[in-house]
Amino acid sequence: MPRIPRSKLARIAAIIVLTVAITALVIGLGSRKNLQPKHYVQLILDGFRGGSIYALMALGYVTVYTVTGIINFAQGEFVMLGALISISVYNMPLPLPPAARLVVAVGSSILLTTLIGIIVERVAIYPARLSPTVTLIIITIGVTITLRASALLIWGADPYVLPAFSTLVLEDHIFRFGGVTLQAQSLWIWGTLAVVLVLLYVFLEHTITGKALRACAVNRRAAQLVGINPSRMSMLSFGLAAALGAIGGIVMGPVTRPIYDMGLMLGLRGFVAAILGGLVSAPGAVVGGLLLGVVENIAAGVTNPTYKSVVAFVIMIGILLLRPQGIIGRGETGGEQ
Amino acid sequence: MKTNRMSLVLALLMVAGMVLAGCAQAPPATEAPPATYKIGFNSSATGTYATLGLPEAKTAEMIQEQINAAGGVVGPDGKKHEVEIIIYDDENEADKTVSNVTRLILEDEVIVVVSTTGSGTSIAEIPVCQENQTACISMASAKPVTSDSESGTEHKWMFKTPQTNGHAGAWQAAYLSAIGISKVCILHTDDGYGTDCLANFKAQAEAAGLEVVYEAGYAKTDTEFSAQMAGVEASGCEAVEIGSTPPVASLAAIAVRTAMPDMPITLGHGVCNQPFIDTAGAAAEGTVFPCGKVTVIDEVADDDPQKPVLEQYIADYTEFTDGESISTFGGHAWDAVMMAVEALSAVEDGASLEEQRAAVRDYLETKIVEWPGISGLFTFSASDHNGLGKDSLLFVKVVDGKGVAFPESEW
Amino acid sequence: MKNVRAHANTIGVITLSVVILVLGAIDLFRPGGLRFSDLTGRVVTTDTMIRIGILTIVVVGLNLLMGYAGQISLGQAGFYALGAYASAILTTLSTRHGILVGVADQWWWPWLAIVIGMGFTGGFAYLVGRPIFRLKGNYLAMATLGMGIIIYILAGQFPEITGGYDGLTGIPRLHIGTFKLWPMQRYYFLVWGAAIAVIVLALNIVNSRTGRAWRAVHSSEIAAGASGVDIERSKLRALVISAVFASLAGSLYAHFQSAVSPNPFSFRASVQLVVMAAVGGLASIWGAPFGVAFVFVVRDLLRSRLEDVLHVRGSGYELIVYGVILVLIMIFLPEGLTAGGAKLLRKRWRSAAAGDP
Repeated sequence: MPRIPRSKLARIAAIIVLTVAITALVIGLGSRKNLQPKHYVQLILDGFRGGSIYALMALGYVTVYTVTGIINFAQGEFVMLGALISISVYNMPLPLPPAARLVVAVGSSILLTTLIGIIVERVAIYPARLSPTVTLIIITIGVTITLRASALLIWGADPYVLPAFSTLVLEDHIFRFGGVTLQAQSLWIWGTLAVVLVLLYVFLEHTITGKALRACAVNRRAAQLVGINPSRMSMLSFGLAAALGAIGGIVMGPVTRPIYDMGLMLGLRGFVAAILGGLVSAPGAVVGGLLLGVVENIAAGVTNPTYKSVVAFVIMIGILLLRPQGIIGRGETGGEQ
Repeated sequence: MKTNRMSLVLALLMVAGMVLAGCAQAPPATEAPPATYKIGFNSSATGTYATLGLPEAKTAEMIQEQINAAGGVVGPDGKKHEVEIIIYDDENEADKTVSNVTRLILEDEVIVVVSTTGSGTSIAEIPVCQENQTACISMASAKPVTSDSESGTEHKWMFKTPQTNGHAGAWQAAYLSAIGISKVCILHTDDGYGTDCLANFKAQAEAAGLEVVYEAGYAKTDTEFSAQMAGVEASGCEAVEIGSTPPVASLAAIAVRTAMPDMPITLGHGVCNQPFIDTAGAAAEGTVFPCGKVTVIDEVADDDPQKPVLEQYIADYTEFTDGESISTFGGHAWDAVMMAVEALSAVEDGASLEEQRAAVRDYLETKIVEWPGISGLFTFSASDHNGLGKDSLLFVKVVDGKGVAFPESEW
Repeated sequence: MKNVRAHANTIGVITLSVVILVLGAIDLFRPGGLRFSDLTGRVVTTDTMIRIGILTIVVVGLNLLMGYAGQISLGQAGFYALGAYASAILTTLSTRHGILVGVADQWWWPWLAIVIGMGFTGGFAYLVGRPIFRLKGNYLAMATLGMGIIIYILAGQFPEITGGYDGLTGIPRLHIGTFKLWPMQRYYFLVWGAAIAVIVLALNIVNSRTGRAWRAVHSSEIAAGASGVDIERSKLRALVISAVFASLAGSLYAHFQSAVSPNPFSFRASVQLVVMAAVGGLASIWGAPFGVAFVFVVRDLLRSRLEDVLHVRGSGYELIVYGVILVLIMIFLPEGLTAGGAKLLRKRWRSAAAGDP
């Protein structure tokens, strides 16, 4: 049996005390609003749904950040593009049954968005790759403005609908058990997240390109010395981030009403998730996303839902100040960057 | 050498300037043509309220075309005056609104202003209109746009054409108490429109003896409502009122339907455009809300004094925009601009701008009586710069993906 | 020649003051009916000039923070909001709440409110900055971003105090004794007077001990620390100064607009401020007014020109072009329009002097 150092013991005790205190606070506040256990289950379930989308976005941030050192503000716009392009393709009068049309729509949307991501990197990011952080942040903001305005031009300001994947109409299957409801689309969202994670794992661990990408993330200079082309990796990371964003946008399409300016708030939330996960760790991003979804929902449920987005940003500042390496603690620290 | 060349350039520039200035001076006309009257128009054609502001701007463009095709407005001098509508976009940003309205009043020297789409932005323009003594007709629904929240009196130079949330709240409360509800929940967007819905609905509901047991907000961009649904369920209310515009109104309605399929839902008149029913799908079925008549023209009685105006506007707008769908917002713009145009008939050619502006304002306050518009039958007065009653709205229920009239007799 | 260099800032301040005075005088006296906006083909009006002046004050502060102290803030609109709301709340105390009647109606009260606002915002920045400055680079940007958004959301709450989403109206115009600083042709002088004062102050700070410490920290924290610079304190000072400037601008904004609502203080506003600072040149105080003016004027010009050419409305063409211009400036003139442009010109000049084709 390994010996537990005292400081570690103290830390575990502190975590337990903190967890108990927070739980008590949540239940106390919740009981004032008459919340019952089924409500908490519902809040957590739906939190995982929203959190999965945050996780996909956070993965996009992490991919770009680790490889290029850039915080890509345009990540939210990739989500918007993914959703709106898939809707446009789905609504094209193709001589196909709806299910096949959906598959075509999903495929072409991911491809197109990936292409846009690559173009963005080649045209706007790569020429300025040696610039200071501020400049790069502003460039991605410029890209964001351009993409959003283009979307306004193409799709107008109206919200669109993407049919639920299971029913292929607007109305989804709803499962009900003991007062808790679950939409079939939530299963699609979780399934997609799982598949994406597996594919990502296989890509990063078992392909040469994936390994090169990881090498680049660990140490760019060293990667270059062993013959990895950092320019290609930078391009790849943007393409991958765009694809992740597009996937998120598509699977969440049926539970939201995609609109040209949906990217901003989503992008910021996804970013908070990435920070929660430490900004440089893919598993961290996923945990961060799911956790943010759940915490946000529970906090909103037991207090005033108006403060939902305040909660997200308070958590972010708290994490930055107390644990800049993220909740699972494998990331770099802000102070020693 | 250098100085010499510099002065040569300067001299040339000055000569050029003088020549240009000389050219700009028009030769004295034998008889001045009737002055062109200018109306300023500002809406949020882009930005968060683009779905509202764009049809408004298009309506203004359409009216501009129509009036000048007819030769303009006839002034008290009996002559026809061309009307120029100067159209700006404020992107639903308060700073832009104030800049645009300032520019219209001080630079473009318009006689009357129609502005703007949002409630918050309309409130921001109040000081400009008041200080410069120019009538501003807003297309936003919140009460503080025209009345001072401290004293309750109307701002002298502010008018507005949409039905207020007070009218909507009166319908919703009357309906809910008629079907035997005693406890209600309110969900609303956290913005100017949503909080105005909340305040008005609450006042009307409490006056009708309903108890508001839960109220919760959400951001315009939210897609997740389980926190609000938990609150609604736990509070034990029997009906839910949603104060939002689409798309978030649709998502909130879907969330209520998903969690509580049998819960009655009322909404505000901000959902009276096709996007709500399109984006809410089956969740919209059975929801009830008050609507401007233009969106439910088939349900308007033939003897309604608004009917001819409504039909004309729908036909014109459809033609002008190649078949874009009709929204209540374009109607608010039609009322505002047409009122302004009509008020221009009281403007003396040659009078000072201040006098012309005052004439328009006085005309609006005193002469707009039983005036059939798109949003209702307007009667402005010193104590009412909205001039509409509850009957300007038609109560509607969504049946088979379409809003149909749902009069009190069927409750 | 060397003399000119040494006095460049003095010459700059005098030139700017003269230009501002002349332009303002034209609009105040309107010789021969000539208006200020006539000089600019009606693109820039007095209203635009005042807004440029107000935002210049914020951007100068942002310049000190980002360009000299090397710290990014994506929440500057939050400090701007604090100043605006401080003025709005304090000057409507007597009319809204019946508090301090007889005191809050005096002409000097709004001026005191501006100072209170600056003090409060500075103190707030100090409290926020202390923990945040343990972070660096991207992380600091994100912490300030979160702070800005939280202030923005809270401004829409508590309608009793902040007026909620509709905001506060009825903010009085400023007076000196019985002299009213309005219409806006008069207010213009106040705003630009403040802007020039802030520029002068910033130039002095940059060339003072504090400024040297910032530059030392910016180039190498370790070296600066080793040579006795209190790094954290030096950064904090930059943040507090920039927050105080933003607060002053916010107060001037509140009295200009006479109404305050959360709308102008969103995340977009913070982003736009950073863009203005970057376009003007991050490490260039003189870049600030140009960066602000560029963003203001270029967007408006683009919009009206594109609408004329393409006959479209509300389409977003101009935003696309605006975004592209932004990216191009950052790629090709990363030091901003002023510094970068000057460098380009100098290069041209030198090669011309050397007889290159």
